[in-house]
Amino acid sequence: MANTVVTEVIEPLRKIVGAENLLTSASERIVYECDGFVVEKNSPDVVVFPTSTDQVAAIVKACNEARVPFLPRGAGTSLAGGCLPVGGGVMIVLTRMKEILEINLRDHYAVVQPGVVNVWLTQALKGSGYHYAPDPSSQGACTIGGNVATNSGGPHTLKYGVTVNHVLSVEAVMADGSIVTIGGPAGEMPGPDLVGALVGSEGTLAIVTRVWVRLTRDPQGYRTMLGIFESVDDATQAISAIIGAGIIPAALEMMDQGILVALEEAFQFGFPLDAQAILLIEVDGLEAGLDGQRDDIIRLCKETGAREVRMAADEQERLKLWKCRKQAFGAIGRLSSSFCTQDGVVPRTQLPSIFKKIRATSEKYDIRIVNVFHAGDGNLHPILLFDERNPDEVKRVMEASGEILEACLDAGGSVTGEHGIGVEKIRYMNKMFRESDLEAMRQLRDAFNPDNRLSPDKMLPTAGACGMEQIHPGRRAAL
Amino acid sequence: MEPHASPNRDHVSTDITTLPLIETVTPIDQDALAEQVAGCFEQQRPIYPLGGCTSLGYGLLPRQEGIGLSLAGLNRLVDFPARDLTVTVEAGFPMATLAEQVAEEGLQLPIHVPQAKEATIGGVIATNWNGPARKGYGTIRDYVIGISAVDGKGLPFRGGGRVVKNVAGYDFCKLLTGSLGTLGVITEVTLRLKPIPPRASTQVVPLDDLDQAEQLLCSLVDSQATPFAVELLSGDSWQDSPGMDSGSPWHLAISCCGTDDEVSYMVGQLEQELVDQSLPAPRKLTDDEHQQLWAELVEFPACPEAPLVIQATVVPSGTTTIARESRLLDPACSIQAHAGSGIVIVRFSEFPADGLSRALVGTLQPVAAAAHGNVVILSNPSGREMTPRSVWGAVPAPLTLLSRIKNNFDPADILNPGRFVYP
Repeated sequence: MANTVVTEVIEPLRKIVGAENLLTSASERIVYECDGFVVEKNSPDVVVFPTSTDQVAAIVKACNEARVPFLPRGAGTSLAGGCLPVGGGVMIVLTRMKEILEINLRDHYAVVQPGVVNVWLTQALKGSGYHYAPDPSSQGACTIGGNVATNSGGPHTLKYGVTVNHVLSVEAVMADGSIVTIGGPAGEMPGPDLVGALVGSEGTLAIVTRVWVRLTRDPQGYRTMLGIFESVDDATQAISAIIGAGIIPAALEMMDQGILVALEEAFQFGFPLDAQAILLIEVDGLEAGLDGQRDDIIRLCKETGAREVRMAADEQERLKLWKCRKQAFGAIGRLSSSFCTQDGVVPRTQLPSIFKKIRATSEKYDIRIVNVFHAGDGNLHPILLFDERNPDEVKRVMEASGEILEACLDAGGSVTGEHGIGVEKIRYMNKMFRESDLEAMRQLRDAFNPDNRLSPDKMLPTAGACGMEQIHPGRRAAL
Repeated sequence: MEPHASPNRDHVSTDITTLPLIETVTPIDQDALAEQVAGCFEQQRPIYPLGGCTSLGYGLLPRQEGIGLSLAGLNRLVDFPARDLTVTVEAGFPMATLAEQVAEEGLQLPIHVPQAKEATIGGVIATNWNGPARKGYGTIRDYVIGISAVDGKGLPFRGGGRVVKNVAGYDFCKLLTGSLGTLGVITEVTLRLKPIPPRASTQVVPLDDLDQAEQLLCSLVDSQATPFAVELLSGDSWQDSPGMDSGSPWHLAISCCGTDDEVSYMVGQLEQELVDQSLPAPRKLTDDEHQQLWAELVEFPACPEAPLVIQATVVPSGTTTIARESRLLDPACSIQAHAGSGIVIVRFSEFPADGLSRALVGTLQPVAAAAHGNVVILSNPSGREMTPRSVWGAVPAPLTLLSRIKNNFDPADILNPGRFVYP
């Protein structure tokens, strides 16, 4: 059971949300001990499921009165421990706030509660000619509130941008329990872009309770291609050539041979298993322009050494291809009992050299690494395969991961393109940023969250943080 | 072809005498700038950052004496890896030079600002200035992927990086967009770029009234043409512009870009859709006319001769309402609305006789608020009635939060004091 201080807050919380929206027993709370980053676990002392913004505000005030830490959670599909209750406290799960409140096509926006699942909005818009563009691979489960917290990406960010490019305004409960609305459906307003600063703050600045999102026109058509390459180098050259030619595909994904074998076993798509790399390339937009772009892409792939470029024959085949891609991580189980995915980013032109580095790292540590990632953005997802019963292998996976991420930083990149810092990558923050940068980040957090009671010990290497040492790699199942 | 060339303009309002400056200093690099700010922090001396000085009329009039901090020494191109579609420049880099240099590689920053020869990238970010292409291309916040700045204590800080996708740490690129130099002096930025489309084209539709305009704007919601700019134009300023029909009080200028095939399709599609809805036929501009009109669309908001220029930001469906109310307030005003995005810019023909408290605070701001928006003053050369409410309208952010952020980044209140609405 929870510690005494936390016990004091349970009765007030029960009054706010009702007994049916509150969990206190250990067997129920354990479900909320981690997100998709399963290495570090800690159960919250209490879990509450508010159904309104006023309830969220009242919960936060009750936590402040009892001096108990608290944090928000959506569907828990995040991959870096962003909703890990470090030190326990009250977890505010927003999945029962799941209404789509308004769809306004004339003004291209929708208003949703934070617990709305990403794909529900696009389903609700079907036939309207509009959609919600951010499409993380977990879109069937993840919530829009969680997408806002982590600034989620997805395969189509290359052309359409990430979550922050599609959020116009938010209503949020601040760390002191006050309710604020920032921005508006009209978009840009005078003064600092606080909406933009809140998106991607991983739940450390405020709890978002309502979101105004921008809606995007559906493209008239698609052309989806598979470029088949004899070497990873050739494939990465093709990526540079396509974008260098002024073509911005809607998506440009790469899969190497290791992952293809697993995908073929899982989905029987007909991937050529002897190919070293495959590019999944999709252009969308006006029909009038698509065949021209398709022809250019085929030519550029061939010029850079593609053995073959296949077209998705019809919409059914296109959807199957995307299913393979989005569920790629589910197929990894066929290769290894445990795996660890990294999320580094490099400038696109550095892809060939970072791949050499990944290969060398794989050999150096004798760890098998397969790759499936957002190539057009330079966002890598090397997947390190291992057996978690082998402590020596586990140690080598950790060292190899660190070496790859440091190589990303050396190449002018980042340690995370879309998964976030959470607790997983805190130790890289002072490699990526100077102390004065981190000081400025603390200045911002302290303005929103002065007592650091909201999601403590996340994202910033705070002095006095409990600093859980990571001794074990992650085993994640989505990206 | 460069579809959106900016013109040369000789009327530039770079008159820094409107600021209470004791002296102007020009640091030679980012370290020197940080030292300068740190010194001012110790002495509690106000700082007014100066980029191209094209937006000095934007914001409340500062009263405290201080130093002008010129960014003219921070004008270097730091890195331009064209195949990565990014560029890193110091904050004092002029927009026109930036456009020229990246165009050599077939790229563009699709943010079109007036007086681009003078305007600097740092100033554009600090004022969150965005031109007519925002419907298709988004705004400057969508393009800044890395930023360096110096806060009011002289602390240098940066956020983001040089890659297009990055979620490490808080997004200072966003925080500083629109911050008006009040949270930090921007010193360097990394921008993502887009390819210049091979072709762009504009069609102009003459309209009898605003009801017809609204009908056309509604039809564009479902149109198969996907223009990147939709401009509602009215008033004397536009009477000699390409494509304008002297008998029509309102015009919509609709611009498309893409490959030859795409543009031809969109031009034909729009013509057909207008016929189908019994709307007036559009006139397609020649390439030269398109270039000329585009230059005028970009420059319209910068008009030192106008007694008052305001900008309303509303949801797109509120555009015609704001235009109607503005016309009632000043029958001789000139109007440009980025109608696809709900931005309405009004050049008044004379200073409102009833004063700004009636015209803006009492009339236009409530109309904008009903359309989820706000009205701000872009320039008011007379300096009359420049109150927080008339200049900034109802800022939709909690003032206590804004002032806490301000206090943490600029505890001595030396960065552009008195310009924004901090309590």
